[in-house]
Amino acid sequence: MNAPDRYERFVVPEGTKKVSFEKDTKIMNAASFTIEREDHTIGNILRMQLHRDPNVLFAGYKLPHPLQYKIIVRIHTASQSSPTQAYTQAINDLDKELENLKQAFEDEKTRFERMKQGY
Amino acid sequence: MERPAAGASYQRFPRVRIRELRDEYAKFELRDTDASMANALRRVMIAEVPTVAIDLVEIESNSSVLTDEFIAHRLGLIPLTSSAAMSAMRFSRDCDACDGDGSCEYCSIEFHLAARATDSGQTLEVTAMDLRSTDPKVCPVDQADAAGDSRGILIVKLRCGQELRLRAIARKGIGKDHAKWSPAATVTFMYEPDICINEELMETLTLEEKQSWVESSPTKVFDIDPVTQQVTVVDPEAYTYDDEVIKKAEAMGKPGLVEINAKEDSFVFTVETTGAITAYELIMNAITVLRQKLDAIRLQDDDGDLGELDAHLVGG
Ligand SMILES: [Zn+2]
Repeated sequence: MNAPDRYERFVVPEGTKKVSFEKDTKIMNAASFTIEREDHTIGNILRMQLHRDPNVLFAGYKLPHPLQYKIIVRIHTASQSSPTQAYTQAINDLDKELENLKQAFEDEKTRFERMKQGY
Repeated sequence: MERPAAGASYQRFPRVRIRELRDEYAKFELRDTDASMANALRRVMIAEVPTVAIDLVEIESNSSVLTDEFIAHRLGLIPLTSSAAMSAMRFSRDCDACDGDGSCEYCSIEFHLAARATDSGQTLEVTAMDLRSTDPKVCPVDQADAAGDSRGILIVKLRCGQELRLRAIARKGIGKDHAKWSPAATVTFMYEPDICINEELMETLTLEEKQSWVESSPTKVFDIDPVTQQVTVVDPEAYTYDDEVIKKAEAMGKPGLVEINAKEDSFVFTVETTGAITAYELIMNAITVLRQKLDAIRLQDDDGDLGELDAHLVGG
């Protein structure tokens, strides 16, 4: 009767921001990003991509509770960069990697089908 | 420590090699990326690539032995051909052509089923093939076997005199909402193993010792060359990371006989679909969905004090 709709798990409610961030009050170049309606899928690739950036001193994510449909990504960078810059760069790099992967798959499918036909 | 200027790219360029590709099955190698990417793709394939499934059932008449909700549940689990789900169709909840009540062509497909058993001699099998779709693009997946014998998925059996009549609405959805929308039967990946035999140490073994060592592996990873009597790796991927051969080597007093490491940037994927979409479509759609997800979490220009925040943070 009063069960929440199933889609509440992945649809951002109206009036809520998908991403919000809060800078650390004590540490320079540190901030926490709260991403609504995301889970380990995004959290883990984002964290691992941030680790590839030498300007990132710390990057981690947590899923605070399985019934709170959000993740919190914390980033601490060196002075050459900033959390928002590192965050945006990580997303850009992941997006380009996937664009590349898509192309690689298309090419590989063509090659595979040619090979099967015996060209 | 010397640090590069911000704004440099740390992008990877993954490589792919397809080993097997059929309509509902794919096996491929993914290299030059990490486990987080492999796992994200796996998770998206299972839970976030959209398909079409029956979501609303109006029973007109049901005198079968199964209850209305039991039948409705079974109908929901029938895979429907869903190539249209990825881009052509809308989710009912954000369809503005209707109120999401399932009466519009953009977000729903209607099905009808009418069956009545009249033969007193035998029971009537009502299958997915009795579902009449109003859209030829969306219909129950053809379950024909190799012999071309197509019987469809069994929904209910009717005895003489029993009847089932209903109207069903299929909608677009994702596996995260309900597993009936998942296009994936199985999606798995394994780390490619790097198996290195210490040949020098191996040659100190007698043929019988080699034999018993090879046989200690529960899966057939190693074999002995009948001519040279050398131990060879015949199928590295048969290795299940069970450590049995390593324990056996230690028990034989030959630690270090073999070294097995998981390559951290190489994966072997197995993808099987329900037939709703092809395995290739599933992979491609998963990449698209993951990119859409990444796009959705970008910081917006109107994120208030973004510039101010950067100015403040960079200052230190
Ligand atoms: Zn609609």
